Amino acid sequence: MSRLQLPPPSPGRRQLLKLGLGAGAASLLPLSSVFANTISTRARIVILGSGAAGLSMANRLSRRLSGATITVVEPSDLHNYQPGWTLVASGVWEAERTLKPNAQFLPTGVDWVKGQAAGINADLRRITLADSSTLEYDVLVVATGLQLNYQLIDGMSPKLVGRNGIGCVYASLDAAGRTRKAIDTWLAQGGGQGIFTSPQTAIKCAGAPIKMTFTTLSRIKAESTRERFDLDYFTGGGGMFSQPWINDFLKQRFDQENITRHHLQHLTAIDAGAKKAEFTSPNGDTEVRDYDFIHVVPPMSAPDFVKDSDLIAQEGAFKGEWLDTDIHTLQHNRYPEVFGIGDVIGAPINKTAASVKAQAPVVEANIVAYLQEKPLNARHNGYTSCPLITDIGKAMLVEFGYDNNMEFLPSFSFIDPKEESWSAWVLKDYLLQPAYYAMLEGRV
Amino acid sequence: MSFSLAGIFAVLSHAIQPFVALILIILAVLIAVQLVARLRSYRTKAHHCKPAMIVALLAGLSAVWWLPMLTHSQLGFVTSIVDWLALIAAALGVALLVWLVLHPLSYLVRGPR
Repeated sequence: MSRLQLPPPSPGRRQLLKLGLGAGAASLLPLSSVFANTISTRARIVILGSGAAGLSMANRLSRRLSGATITVVEPSDLHNYQPGWTLVASGVWEAERTLKPNAQFLPTGVDWVKGQAAGINADLRRITLADSSTLEYDVLVVATGLQLNYQLIDGMSPKLVGRNGIGCVYASLDAAGRTRKAIDTWLAQGGGQGIFTSPQTAIKCAGAPIKMTFTTLSRIKAESTRERFDLDYFTGGGGMFSQPWINDFLKQRFDQENITRHHLQHLTAIDAGAKKAEFTSPNGDTEVRDYDFIHVVPPMSAPDFVKDSDLIAQEGAFKGEWLDTDIHTLQHNRYPEVFGIGDVIGAPINKTAASVKAQAPVVEANIVAYLQEKPLNARHNGYTSCPLITDIGKAMLVEFGYDNNMEFLPSFSFIDPKEESWSAWVLKDYLLQPAYYAMLEGRV
Repeated sequence: MSFSLAGIFAVLSHAIQPFVALILIILAVLIAVQLVARLRSYRTKAHHCKPAMIVALLAGLSAVWWLPMLTHSQLGFVTSIVDWLALIAAALGVALLVWLVLHPLSYLVRGPR
């Protein structure tokens, strides 16, 4: 089955313009396009995914483009507010607070294909879905998010989360709830060995493994049983955090709290029955540790169907793992009609919802510029934000970007990114979720 | 990262959604008490009620303790200047709200003083 509804593929940009682009042409255009910033086009735009990035782009482009055919490919009916999962797993939020229907955020006039993308032929500008149907595009927005590669940890499966002392806040909302129960069970034991992990790959919400460590520590301290619990943190990286000042702060805080740090050691195998975990160093040395509770963070990459496509990075740090995009324009490095946004792109940092907030206006502006055959002037500075929870009840609002050596980029001059505060916690607890939903609607 | 005025309103519109019912109940009580009292010749400056003032002050003071708890936090984590300014402003709001309800209510219960 083909979902083609409009003219056949139009590989050339000139041809694309012939399809009906007419920026600012007021005559014969719908009223909406007469107003400033709306352009008329017959381009077929496909957005892969309706996570934070996909929905933001659907709303922004549907407002900005008149006459375009915008299709969102997404199998799920529900939208998860994933930044809330750490609070669910920490016992602060109820799970229901993070769920809303996707339909609430999809703008009218956008075609929603409830299917799973299975392949991308970038040369033919064609998407193949899991049911073998195809979609052709003039502009593609890759907003698929990323995939969790549990298979790279021998013996690990998301089904194990919640059993045998295994937690994983990333697996799903349900798994976040099961992680909470696994932590509850461990705390009820009154002591033991806890291990928190972070892999050797880039991960989404890179602060989450640290937050889970701190919130669990917070709960242990609340029971006044700290001396009976041993906490270890294993990370595949050499540091704790991308931002240098925060990295130093975290190392110091972990040491103060007697959380033993193990760098350049990533989880490679787990024996759930025996409660043993194997860690491997870059030189191949392995170490097996017993645990009573382990928080597993799996290696992550672009989804397999993106990895198998021509769109994946062919060289450099992101080779074979992430989408090959220019980190400033967010345009694909080899296929100019393809743009990437969100977790899937190859970028030094930026796998957060806050990054999407900064990326979405850039991708919107650059798609419009591309359709108009103008230079792509909008640039993303790598902005990202981590409301770094250091205790249940306080946090640091860490905002920075990859330009200028990860310098701080605070949104609010009155909130110091180097300071733990109740205000930052309240922002995380009450205001960032509303900001996220406003972002999905393209209103911030 | 900056927020436009429209963006701030968009965020606030989502932020108040879970609390709309509570806000409406509080407003309804406030308006009802004020309205009924004023229909019975209550005037803010003309009526004096020390207990209403004391209860309002106590409510405001206690808010310094329970407001952080309401946000899954604790007073000990209120440390920065911004934290304290926000907490004091919220506590003053609680005190004012309580006084705006109790003061006309005392007029209705006890009559003019």
